Amino acid sequence: MYEEPYRWIEAVANRRTYLDDQFTQGNPLIGVSFTQGILLLTFNRGTDKVYEVYDRIALGGMGHPADLEKLRYTVLDMAHVEGFQRSPSDVTASRLMKNGLAPVIKQAFEEIYKAPYITKILLAEVGTTQERDHLFSINYDGMFEEQREFGVLVASSSIRETLAQEWKAQVPPSSLQAALEVSLRLWGISSLLQTDMPSSGDEEEKGDEASPTTSVSTIPDDEAIASRIRETLSKETLECVLLDRESGKMETYRSLSQAELQPLIPQKFVPTTEP
Amino acid sequence: MRQQGDFLQVLQEQGYGMDNLFPSSKGNGVSSHTELTMGTTVFAMKYADGVLVAGDRRATAGNVVMYDRTDKVLEIDRFSVMAIAGVPATAFEMARVLEHSFKYYRRSQLQDLSFEGKLRALSTLLKNNAPAALAGTGTVVPVFAGYDSLEGCGKIFFYDILGAEFEAVEYAVSGSGSSTIRGILFYMNRWGTSPVAGMNEEDALIFVLRLMTSAAEFDSATGGVDAQAQLYPIIKRISAEGVRTIPADRLKTLFSEKVLT
Repeated sequence: MYEEPYRWIEAVANRRTYLDDQFTQGNPLIGVSFTQGILLLTFNRGTDKVYEVYDRIALGGMGHPADLEKLRYTVLDMAHVEGFQRSPSDVTASRLMKNGLAPVIKQAFEEIYKAPYITKILLAEVGTTQERDHLFSINYDGMFEEQREFGVLVASSSIRETLAQEWKAQVPPSSLQAALEVSLRLWGISSLLQTDMPSSGDEEEKGDEASPTTSVSTIPDDEAIASRIRETLSKETLECVLLDRESGKMETYRSLSQAELQPLIPQKFVPTTEP
Repeated sequence: MRQQGDFLQVLQEQGYGMDNLFPSSKGNGVSSHTELTMGTTVFAMKYADGVLVAGDRRATAGNVVMYDRTDKVLEIDRFSVMAIAGVPATAFEMARVLEHSFKYYRRSQLQDLSFEGKLRALSTLLKNNAPAALAGTGTVVPVFAGYDSLEGCGKIFFYDILGAEFEAVEYAVSGSGSSTIRGILFYMNRWGTSPVAGMNEEDALIFVLRLMTSAAEFDSATGGVDAQAQLYPIIKRISAEGVRTIPADRLKTLFSEKVLT
């Protein structure tokens, strides 16, 4: 039945609705480039979402862990074979994304008889200088974007737009502490906006009105953001990875421990202990 | 089924076979006019704070000195070092394979490969390389030393050309100049004033420089110490904090103050 072009387009559109819906429950992931390197931040309920790929490259994921694991191996294999046969400096996030991930994800998405990858991936590559930092994010349909300063994995493109604007309004962070504060704030905003997102069921009720996902959402007020972060900090684990430009070693990836993070979290985000 | 985290298998799936890794394995042996670069002195010994691994800098082919700045003590990862004796082409390739194998394992399996696993990996490489080793075109006789985080101590292992692995209690030596060193180490431990394992870092370093000088005295393929050209052996120290290279400046001071005089 999918031989007809119309049917195929319809099937792909259904797939989009289904996948968009899957991600509304997901945990946003924020990547921020600053003077010392790149900080990747998310929250998890046990399973890590950020992984080391190569000497200067890390991968962050949102979505189904099994799909993420499979794609992680694709990237790891490619990076290590390249690094071995050519040289470690030939392994770049750009090529891993464009030649490795994008074709695989796009093909899976468009083969409508098979299951798509329920995952969005962020590849971050730390450069020797901040101008050489790269962040690539890829959507479940194989569309990817390159950014120099920040990259996010969020449920919808409208939230991403909002975060991009918010990022521009911020002072570029010049320390790990500042980067952590900005990332937490961006995480809080996307988490709030995601909760307010209409699920696919609501959309159908509204009929053919202008799709809410295309408009830019308004940024929630500071107290709401802080309260969301406090709430999450008390329930879930803050996961932060630093690609450290100044490590002085070939390998730049460092997972920040909770003890290291605690003193860096701004006071307004720290959950108050119940009396 | 593919073994999880095996980098060699990933390479093979990409069409990079064992024959590519060590191409000499299909050779007919060494032709009469081929001189291979082989002579060397490398050794590892335990001392009070961990393990020291040292290697001279000379690479020779027959009686020709090819190069004076070779690094034969190779850091494979933060906690292990391979000192190589034998055909450099094969030895450096093995070191590269190991380095990537350990990195790949750690990143894909999200845990470090155990020290025993690392030893097995080198053993497998040597075993696969056996035809080339027997033909003489790819002989490698490494010393592998590292910190075993499970047992909390530094360890030294040495191999034969076919991949059999032996643990050294106090020290291990390899290369053409090693017999001199082995004799001295044996004598020191048996009848010397203090056993090598009890030495502090400074004494151990002085001892290593003296050993290297002795080896160079009797083996033309060992570079020893060339203070005039500022060429000192590569010495690496392995402890719980990982691998650290002893800076040449420190060796220079020790050599001029405690070895020459």
